Amino acid sequence: MRCGVCIYAECHGKLPEPMTAELVTAARLIKRTTGEAIQALVIAENCVEALGYLERLGVDEIYAVDTKQSCLFKDDLLGFVIRDALERIKPSAVLIPAGITARSVFSRAAALMGAGLTADCTELIVVKNEAREGYYLKQNKPSFGDNVMVSIITKERHYPQMMTIRQGVYPACPENGRGVAKVFLLDDIEIPESKIEILETTLCERVGDDISAARILCVAGRGSLGGEKLALLREFAAKIGGVVAGTRPLADEGIIAFENQIGQTGKTVRPKICISFGVSGAIQHTEGIKDAKLFIAVNNDENAAIFNVADYGVTADMEDILRAVLSML
Amino acid sequence: MNIAICIKHVPVSNDVSVDPVTHALIRENTEGMVNPADLNSIEQGVCLKDRHGADVVVFTMGPPDAEKSLRTALSMGCDDAVLVSDRCFAGADTVATAKVLAAALRHRGDFDLILTGAQTADGATGQVGPMVAALLGIPHISDARSLDCGNYAEGRIEASKQFGGNTIRLAVACPVLVSMSFGCNKPRFPTLRSKLTANKKELTVYTNDDLDLPRSEVGLDGSPTVVIDSFAPERNSKAEYISGSAKEIARRILDLVNGEEANS
Repeated sequence: MRCGVCIYAECHGKLPEPMTAELVTAARLIKRTTGEAIQALVIAENCVEALGYLERLGVDEIYAVDTKQSCLFKDDLLGFVIRDALERIKPSAVLIPAGITARSVFSRAAALMGAGLTADCTELIVVKNEAREGYYLKQNKPSFGDNVMVSIITKERHYPQMMTIRQGVYPACPENGRGVAKVFLLDDIEIPESKIEILETTLCERVGDDISAARILCVAGRGSLGGEKLALLREFAAKIGGVVAGTRPLADEGIIAFENQIGQTGKTVRPKICISFGVSGAIQHTEGIKDAKLFIAVNNDENAAIFNVADYGVTADMEDILRAVLSML
Repeated sequence: MNIAICIKHVPVSNDVSVDPVTHALIRENTEGMVNPADLNSIEQGVCLKDRHGADVVVFTMGPPDAEKSLRTALSMGCDDAVLVSDRCFAGADTVATAKVLAAALRHRGDFDLILTGAQTADGATGQVGPMVAALLGIPHISDARSLDCGNYAEGRIEASKQFGGNTIRLAVACPVLVSMSFGCNKPRFPTLRSKLTANKKELTVYTNDDLDLPRSEVGLDGSPTVVIDSFAPERNSKAEYISGSAKEIARRILDLVNGEEANS
């Protein structure tokens, strides 16, 4: 019988990614009801340091696959290894970080296993199974931008329940465990040859208006169309060292470059500061935008959804605000 | 070179609300279009055809009105279009969708390169491409920014992607599936003439009579996951509102920005 909540400790270097600690928190909440063990799966070139870190996070069992080679970008290889590892661990649920890499490799693993994969969960609810003993997970996730929430469950014959969890949903669990995890080395798993080869890694060119590298992002929405609003916004961005991004209506109108469109998933940005003007909808779907340390939204509609994610809201005409700001710079 | 492009016909707008009683989705606008990232994969495929010569076939699984998106792809320069459509495919999750697409690609013949968009505008899971590749037993590269098929004669192509502030150049053996990153190129506009030609073109339609997949593998039945409920998200405004005159608000904004800058 399947038992255990397995988290994927995604590892690109020596230590698992910080998101691992958030997944442990999610797994603990499940364990509180189901009593299942918290398992961690780590697949890395050298697992030694990862093991110590996972023990400090307080997981119950660690399953390690030492690949003896870097597996970064070798998604074909990882898909097979994950499938083989999960066949041995037999967990009831697998919690996966909703990042670009894990999404890609777990899609392969899910297809090979004939298992489901729910994407971008923001809430997991443990539900008692009325038909027989045990529990299942109701996996809640946003759909159609942020306009609808849907609840998804996994059919029992397609277990394990696999889901990716959005970053920032669960707080990171502290590293204060005493290191009593049972460690299992899955050294019988064959590491297949990848058909993918890394030729070269170079630092991205930091072009001036690259929004994925911008520290300060000024986002123009539909409300910034017309009049001098956009010109004022550009001037403001230039003065504070920011880069201008825009939502789809602006890209469709050809006002901002296609590259600088924001609001669609698939684009990763890492701003420290994000200031939006005339944006009403859900730009938080763009990966990284919610991690901004400071998010100020200016919109003349006080009911705009953007105020659900911004730290500070300004309900005013953006032109007035921009003129006032520019007069002080 | 044989290129397949898998696209999705998505709603023009994500303006969907939920009926508070029935929890049914209420759509303001039911019009559909080519998923934006798929326009980038179509552009990439047609570019490769222009440069190296290739036969480009576009596929979509969907209801009959997905034909509109296939016509768009044809008008951008794809040679042939396949509509994969059957009532029994409806209600599929990502795995059940990938099974049908993989079967359709196999049914059509051997492809050296399969292109998809990195994500759709509606579901945004980014899963179907990698799943198709796994089912076909071929490698994939996700979220590619560009492709170079100069070494195609040696049975491999090169792709570059961005990760952690780096650009990574990868070589991969064909056949391969590559999902193209949204916005990685500038999709061409169809001309009046190309639109007219595209509209006259005969579409190929595959139903499950052609693919012959077990009913238990496709559609709602074949999906490992099932949507059991939909509901309106909670709208809790978490923002702290800044009020006052334009000057006062401006001062506060600058103080906040400068404060954050000083922290780093």
